[in-house]
Amino acid sequence: MAGRGKLIAVIGDEDTVTGFLLGGIGELNKNRHPNFLVVEKDTTINEIEDTFRSLGSVPGSVAEANPSQHDPPLWDEIDSWQFLNRDDIGIILINQYIAEMVRHALDAHQHSIPAVLEIPSKEHPYDAAKDSILRRARGMFTAEDLR
Amino acid sequence: MKDLVCPLAVLPTAGGDKEGGGSESDYVSMAALDLRAELDSLLLQLLGDLEELEGKRAVLNARVEEGWLSLAKARYAMGTKSVGPLQYASHMEPQVCLQASEAQEGLRKFKVVRSGVHAPEEVGPREAALRRRKGPTKTPELQSSEAPRDPLNWFGILVPHSLRQAQASFWDGLQLAADIASLQNRIDWGRSQLRGLQEKLKQLEPGAA
Repeated sequence: MAGRGKLIAVIGDEDTVTGFLLGGIGELNKNRHPNFLVVEKDTTINEIEDTFRSLGSVPGSVAEANPSQHDPPLWDEIDSWQFLNRDDIGIILINQYIAEMVRHALDAHQHSIPAVLEIPSKEHPYDAAKDSILRRARGMFTAEDLR
Repeated sequence: MKDLVCPLAVLPTAGGDKEGGGSESDYVSMAALDLRAELDSLLLQLLGDLEELEGKRAVLNARVEEGWLSLAKARYAMGTKSVGPLQYASHMEPQVCLQASEAQEGLRKFKVVRSGVHAPEEVGPREAALRRRKGPTKTPELQSSEAPRDPLNWFGILVPHSLRQAQASFWDGLQLAADIASLQNRIDWGRSQLRGLQEKLKQLEPGAA
């Protein structure tokens, strides 16, 4: 794995995930650890957050990726589904409307890797005012700093 | 010029040495000038990066939208349920990987690398000899190497052109995503450098800052 580089993960709606998987980023290994999550109407915020950051059982996300796989995961394996905790992920692509649901988790992420990129979705165009990175950049300058 | 960037130790104190007082304040003002110049340069670079980021974002958004449109056309041609998670392979290997390099401490650059890309097959005789008329000779070594399976194959053998266009759009999007991630990282790094320099300047010139 060290030789081949890092992965690009994606958390998004069906079209976004399908598109980027077509681009060739998908990984689903023997242990059923995907680097993508298809967010549908019944996907809970907790599932999204769990996938993105914290501990938790995410059977829903596995079912989205592989409907034939329903075995509950081992707790030891769950950690490796958390994209932020995986050291083999370099970039996380996330639809901005989904990023809004877990904004607190995104804002808490201060490391340079994995980099988090917010992308638009079909129903929700990209809004620069909501982007975590640009909001931090906007807070760089105050009136006093520019004197 | 390095000796002009004065450490805090040479800052003038309240009951400071009168003889050296003038030279110390000169050091401080020279150091402050250097810091200001560095701040200006960093600020300009940051603003340039932000502008570049905005441009690349617009292109990424356009590519992704093109990809969705092509996917919709492919669905129209193949059927609504023919392009979606139900077609995902049970075993996937990434064709695209990311190379992350660290230029300076905290400053990372990302580059998308396509794995399993083979050089175009050489057609024709390998040696300067007459071509055999019995037909093309097989090259078993080349054919035995396994490349990651093209995700297009998940959707069938003959896929519509719109699906290939969608793949191309999202592939372009991945390249742009790597560039944007590099820019974001550079902006974050520049932001922390800016804060550090502003703090130093405030310590050198508490009144002016």
